[in-house]
Amino acid sequence: MSAAPETVSGPLITADGIPLKESLQKSLRRSKIRAALLVAPPLLFLIFVFVIPIGNMLTRSVDDKLINQVLPNTFEAFESWDKVSEPDESMFEAMYQDLKAADKTDIGKASVRMNYAKPGWRSLIKRTARKIKKMEPPYKEAFLQADDRWIDGEFWLSLGIMKDKRTFGYYLNAVDRTYDFDKNVIHVDEERKVYNLLWWRTIQVSIIVTLACLLLAYPVAYLLATLPMRIANLLMICVLMPFWTSLLVRIVAWMIMLQQNGVVNDTLVAAGILSDENRLAMMYNFNGTVIVMTQILLPFMILPIFSVMKTIPPSYMKAAQNLGATPTLAFIRVYMPQTIPGIGAGCILVFIVAIGYYITPELVGGKDGRLIGNMVAYHMQRSLNWGLAAAMGTILLIVILIFYWIYDKIIGIDNMKMG
Amino acid sequence: MKVILKQTLLASVVAVTTAAQAEVNIVSWGGAYTASQQKAYQATYKDPDSINFINYNGGLGEVRTQVESGNVTWDIVDVLPHEGRVGCDEGLFEELDRSMFKPAPDGTPMDDDIMVQVPNDCLVPQIFWSYVPFYQEGTFKGEQPTTIADFFNVKKFPGKRGIHTWPNALIEMALLADGVAVKDVYKVMSTDAGIDRAFKMLDKIKDHAVFWSAGSKPLELVQSGEVAMALAYNGRVGAAILSEGAKFVPVWDGQVLEEEWLVLVKGAPNREAAIDFLIHASTTESQAEQAKYINYGPMRSSAFEIMTKGEPWFHNGKTIMEHMPNRPEVMSRTVVANPEWWADYGDSIGERYTAWMGQ
Repeated sequence: MSAAPETVSGPLITADGIPLKESLQKSLRRSKIRAALLVAPPLLFLIFVFVIPIGNMLTRSVDDKLINQVLPNTFEAFESWDKVSEPDESMFEAMYQDLKAADKTDIGKASVRMNYAKPGWRSLIKRTARKIKKMEPPYKEAFLQADDRWIDGEFWLSLGIMKDKRTFGYYLNAVDRTYDFDKNVIHVDEERKVYNLLWWRTIQVSIIVTLACLLLAYPVAYLLATLPMRIANLLMICVLMPFWTSLLVRIVAWMIMLQQNGVVNDTLVAAGILSDENRLAMMYNFNGTVIVMTQILLPFMILPIFSVMKTIPPSYMKAAQNLGATPTLAFIRVYMPQTIPGIGAGCILVFIVAIGYYITPELVGGKDGRLIGNMVAYHMQRSLNWGLAAAMGTILLIVILIFYWIYDKIIGIDNMKMG
Repeated sequence: MKVILKQTLLASVVAVTTAAQAEVNIVSWGGAYTASQQKAYQATYKDPDSINFINYNGGLGEVRTQVESGNVTWDIVDVLPHEGRVGCDEGLFEELDRSMFKPAPDGTPMDDDIMVQVPNDCLVPQIFWSYVPFYQEGTFKGEQPTTIADFFNVKKFPGKRGIHTWPNALIEMALLADGVAVKDVYKVMSTDAGIDRAFKMLDKIKDHAVFWSAGSKPLELVQSGEVAMALAYNGRVGAAILSEGAKFVPVWDGQVLEEEWLVLVKGAPNREAAIDFLIHASTTESQAEQAKYINYGPMRSSAFEIMTKGEPWFHNGKTIMEHMPNRPEVMSRTVVANPEWWADYGDSIGERYTAWMGQ
């Protein structure tokens, strides 16, 4: 009764005299910090290469601030205009003040943006800005002298599209729609419709390629998993060799095989199966894109399916047959369901890679085998319409998420196995 | 161990800094074109080792990324006409003091020596190139194609046509083939009816068209017989004729002439050295020298004088003047591309062209 209550009443103390609670907390904190430090590199990596760029993309796709910063007076004058009468002196004066005050580079950027709303703005602003220093009132006359297009009311009306700091115009453009001057959503001219066709084709190609890959990969993966080691290894090398070969080399090889005067056509003509005029068009069109993409993405399907098949004990099949199933039935009812996680992983992998593909379609797509990825690249590199490129990128992301969600609903994401 | 580590670190830092000081990065298109720049500009420069050529695929996307992020690694870029204008407007390039460039041998200032008006102070002259139709000898029996109208006439000259996947030059050529005079082309193009007219002409070759996007492709297409005629960059066709003895025949009638410029990227890491190299690369002598290695036309007219006197000027002893896209004899039937027009309407025409291609 003498020693025990003493130790219970006072706090527990470790060998070096620190209370146990504190000591435990300390070591817990230390291990927490260690865990945080271990997680930090991938987390920072994710933030820098994933979260920030995607956030940036999302903002760019709706951002329309610059133009409002460059032309504040003009937009104010625009608001008080009745949109019917000829633009009056006050509007020209507002434009004059804006152009005079703005930084030259900002004018350049703004004029490029304005050109999306109505073609012609760019040269109109540029030509006028060059003469702005020497202008004197009345400004309307001075502007008309600089460029007689200023009388065209359409230019002024098009300001209505750009007056807000946020715009959904890029998203509309990405699906063949646009704003009219009153900011109503309308279809673009029939002959300028490009994107909807491309969206549809992109999804179509991705699905065809995914299914084709699945059909080709499944038997190969089965052989890889079931053949004796020595032969399976050889087969594995056959699968991996093209995988390690440069993408461009493979594409060029396909060009040589499939073009109009290529190996396949020449052989068919020589064998008398085709006449010389009816050579098959397998390159520089939709077919070319599908064939080459299927071959390039095939390993992404084979490998996950193979790695799942490898883990299925052969005894299951034997057991099924012992219990009276025919080999086919056993295969369908026992073996195949177990490979679904691999099939799911392969399909998702191939589909996601395919939907954003652009090098192959660029090289072998010709006139009707180009995909949405090619347009994104075009707007990033050539036309410099990053807003539109960002909008298309965002839509792509959403499409992928939708397919991901569907996949989760049907098969369940927990079931996916990469290996 | 520590000592070794320290020394290697020190050595690598020294190596990196000296390398960074020494190199002016020039970004160009690669292939025979970059090779001609290396021979004409780099090899004749006072310090050839300080110049480093990088290949790119065109477009200002990368330049804009570098300038916006403030992490500029390129000094000089070789750009297309419309990019030279847009990039300067957007402040991606630096404006250059024109007085520092060398005048022609007769004293004409550089900008007056250039065959087109220099649109802004960012641009340093490079070359003229053109989109030109061509075919292989022996493709057609009897009469041979000689005009741009023949290119669009698949009844008279049967066979497929290789054309590029963007509308530049094609609109101009289609209108020329439809009988529009050279001087009126852009006037007609500025109307909706004019564009419709051009597309109506393009419709005539649509079912016979094979589309290309890489500059080497049209040559392969014609060489292999995949197409009967193709549009190509005149330098590619000329190189095949001059250096490889290919039996190609260019049809100069109705070609579309384009500019090519050098620019200094804003915030270039080696600005001073880059400017010095730009001055060297834009002299009359350098421009003439480049024509020894590729048949793109010099922008400075004074370079033509040196070349005509020096014929045969090409490095392997062949004459070069008949392969120059901007030689006086062909200019009456040449459309000089209007990059201002394309900067305004290029996007909307581009969409229509893409839609037309995919239909």
